[in-house]
Amino acid sequence: MNCKTPLDVVGKQLPRKDGIARVTGQEKYTVDISLPRMLHGRILSSPYAHAKIVSIDTSAAEAMGAVVLTFADVPKKRYNERIITIPPVLHKDHYVLADKVRRMGEAVAAVAAETEELAERAVRATVVEYEVLPAMTNAEEAMKPGAPAIYDDVLFGETVEPIVNNVACTRDVDEGDAEAALAEADVIVEGSFVLPKVYHAQMETKSCVCRPEPDGGLTVWPTTQSIHNVRILLGEIFSIPLSKIDVKRVPIGGTFGSSIQMNAPIPICAALALKAGRPVKLVTTREEDVHDHTRYGATIDLKLAAKSDGTLTAADMKVVADIGAHNIQAYSFLGVSIGWLVSLYKIPNIRYRGTAVYTNKALSCAMQGFGNPQVTFAAEQLMDMLAEKLDRDPIDLRMQNYIGLGDTFWGQGPLVKSIVHSDGVPELMKKGAELIGWDRRNKPGLAGSERLRRGIGVGRGFHTSSAGAPQPGDVIDFSGAMVKVNIDGSIDVVTALMDHGGGTHEAIAKLVGEALCVPFDHVNVVPVGTQTTVYDCVTHATRGVYAGGGAAVKAATSLRREILETAAKYLNVYPDALDMKIDVSAGQAVIFSPAIDCCRMTLEELAKRCWMESWKTLASVESYRPTNCPPAYVSVFLEVEVDTWTGVVKTVNAVMGSDCGTVVNPSMAIGQLEGGLSKGVGYALYEGCEWDGDGQLTSRGFWLDDKIAAFGESPPIENLQCFFADTYEPTGPFGAKGIGEAAMNPVAAAYANAIANAVGVRFFELPITPERVLSALDKHSGVEDATTSGLLHDQPNDRQGVRS
Amino acid sequence: MADPITITLRVNTRVHNIGVEPRATLLHTLRELGHTDVKNGCEIGECGACAVLLNGEPVNSCMVLAVQADGATITTNAGLGTMEKPHLIQAAFADAGAVQCGFCTPGMVIATKALLDRNPNPSEHEIREALSGNLCRCTGYGQIVDGVKLAAKRLASSRQTGGASC
Repeated sequence: MNCKTPLDVVGKQLPRKDGIARVTGQEKYTVDISLPRMLHGRILSSPYAHAKIVSIDTSAAEAMGAVVLTFADVPKKRYNERIITIPPVLHKDHYVLADKVRRMGEAVAAVAAETEELAERAVRATVVEYEVLPAMTNAEEAMKPGAPAIYDDVLFGETVEPIVNNVACTRDVDEGDAEAALAEADVIVEGSFVLPKVYHAQMETKSCVCRPEPDGGLTVWPTTQSIHNVRILLGEIFSIPLSKIDVKRVPIGGTFGSSIQMNAPIPICAALALKAGRPVKLVTTREEDVHDHTRYGATIDLKLAAKSDGTLTAADMKVVADIGAHNIQAYSFLGVSIGWLVSLYKIPNIRYRGTAVYTNKALSCAMQGFGNPQVTFAAEQLMDMLAEKLDRDPIDLRMQNYIGLGDTFWGQGPLVKSIVHSDGVPELMKKGAELIGWDRRNKPGLAGSERLRRGIGVGRGFHTSSAGAPQPGDVIDFSGAMVKVNIDGSIDVVTALMDHGGGTHEAIAKLVGEALCVPFDHVNVVPVGTQTTVYDCVTHATRGVYAGGGAAVKAATSLRREILETAAKYLNVYPDALDMKIDVSAGQAVIFSPAIDCCRMTLEELAKRCWMESWKTLASVESYRPTNCPPAYVSVFLEVEVDTWTGVVKTVNAVMGSDCGTVVNPSMAIGQLEGGLSKGVGYALYEGCEWDGDGQLTSRGFWLDDKIAAFGESPPIENLQCFFADTYEPTGPFGAKGIGEAAMNPVAAAYANAIANAVGVRFFELPITPERVLSALDKHSGVEDATTSGLLHDQPNDRQGVRS
Repeated sequence: MADPITITLRVNTRVHNIGVEPRATLLHTLRELGHTDVKNGCEIGECGACAVLLNGEPVNSCMVLAVQADGATITTNAGLGTMEKPHLIQAAFADAGAVQCGFCTPGMVIATKALLDRNPNPSEHEIREALSGNLCRCTGYGQIVDGVKLAAKRLASSRQTGGASC
């Protein structure tokens, strides 16, 4: 069925199902939910980054009528907010409320009261006595013997494990003999790369509404990427049978990885609701949210060795990850960091040393790419440096070494290996080069002396579609879906799969429509909760369409079989003699026998007859474990203009190419690419959370002091081109694989390479701010007095965009 | 807690006579009245998600006190169109793929309405300038620019044919 051509629904530009609700403001997010007798929660956040909690006086708050919680009131169960890693190897260091303050903004106490204002006043009336401890804000410093301990111990599985020198975990990977290969190398390139912690800046702050139920259970409306994982965690923490917890799937106002874990407000809201015996709504402020989650900060020391013919022979990589105050997924991060590198390029000999270090900063968690943008920033710059050393074209060198068709691929870490079955890289590189005008690129070392200097650079990369593999590893990755036919022939798709806004549900509806030959407007992804769905792990790892869609197609395929077998009985024909198609005139699916004209019935007729004759509902439920995680390749070609007087880098032209297999939602796929560029330009040029020596976030939680890309920072429409490689992923639903995270991964690298091409200076630290550009140009002494102001190139040609 | 002050707000088709705290923002007041299409993104005027038209002028409702809006006519995004009959701008946003998570969208639509009211045929630069106070983390802005352009184009053709104005 996956080979059906032409496709009826998949790949068609159709009106988005939830589009009108969203544009007219009718979509209800967690923050929009209100319940009768609902209390309002507020969190008392620590003003210090590292402190013992000596005492908490809640009497004044309670005298106001507020329900108040402190550490003394919450279950003494340590947990990890992210349970994608299997329990035996999960690090657990977190309580619902803090036993000790480990970051600025940590939740020390919480209140619930009749109004938001009263809740705020109750928080302010709660008196906490702290014993302030020295803050550790630098991972290298935190690792030194004698540094103040952020944790004495954590749980590893169920075992208490001491924390030494603030090191949360380490991970080493060795393949081949890297030392010998480095010694024998004809050429070595290396760099020490510094990557900041970056705020997700999703538009909706982390929030939760929670209602205690008469049976002792909970109904929960959270901001999350996984309703089932929230349910499992709440059940464990509060000792409630899972069957009594219904976590609703609610539209989410962006996430980008920041709700891969159960966000702190969710169990706090549940604890408040349980204590109050009433529904509670807990909405965090932007300031609170900014303190709560970031991308992993890291330093990456990377050395690549090659033969004189350009063949890569070895990599020596050392990663020190700044994980902040809690260990969300540090061990996985260390695994994927080397995985990204060895899945970019064929490198037979590897020496990898990864260390994850606690600091008194916002916790590091997944953020679009999960370490991939960091590693790709390092690797893609070194590939350019290697090309320069060998006097090779950077594209040719990449084509010589990249992991492509038939190669083994383990982007999601050493235990997640699979084979590449579809490869659009040649097309991406060829077409991208044509569209950007690669032949206009400056010869290395010939970067001009004008004020405004232009350069062209490339970054290539990928992301995995899921974390699927042939064997179970230490990561849980499977999806489930139920598909059923209603008596009017419409289809309910019942799935816990979250859509973060990128159109995942739209894709699921198309895939199911395609599999069942049902018109798109007859298929609906219906609202659900955990009590009515089978398990879906989490929308992450660019797995929504590939793996979530895989589950839906598997269920639809089983259902199709049942439809044919059921219709066969009514039509007096063998099931194998029947087929399905969309009947345009009937506006619905028909079941028919190609050989017998009169042998046909519509899906509505079939479902209605099954109902009237008291037979059954046509339905199927399936779980699906992907046994591959195909690379979704991306190429990013950029032309930038560097103002050597101000240090400002402008995007002149951008070309985003994607190999996502079959393009399921054309305009939304373009949206993923453009969004990836936007977040990538932020990562490359503007964004970075900074903490002072006391562990205070210098932006104080204000967006204006930690800028993200706005309208002025995206290139003009005619200068931004997106295109898709013509590929088909044989293991994916109707040939599809992922796209989202891939789009962002190589962007910062492409900027660094384009800037280097413009001004002849390499930047190993992000963001590449105007200050850093000027400082580097000064050091490089490449800036002449600003007496000339010409352009290195003519204005870009009026290229024919392929942007739809 | 200060005594509430009684004010009148004309929001879309509804008139609210309510008592509000002197320090209550228009954003909070609108949301408490059930106008949840007005989104709270930051509460300090950084993101534009809470934009509404106050007597026809775009404002961040988090930066206006409710008492300052006493007697004013306020149009929120939901006041422009409905699910059954979306406003031309709203439909253009949906058609152009200008919406992903949708949380910034109400503010974007309001900023667009304000722009097209005073400049029915804006250049791309003018669009970007007019919407520069609205943040979106999903789309990268290109398809929002597309949406505004599409709205302007449809507006022009509906005017030519004597259709509804923006």
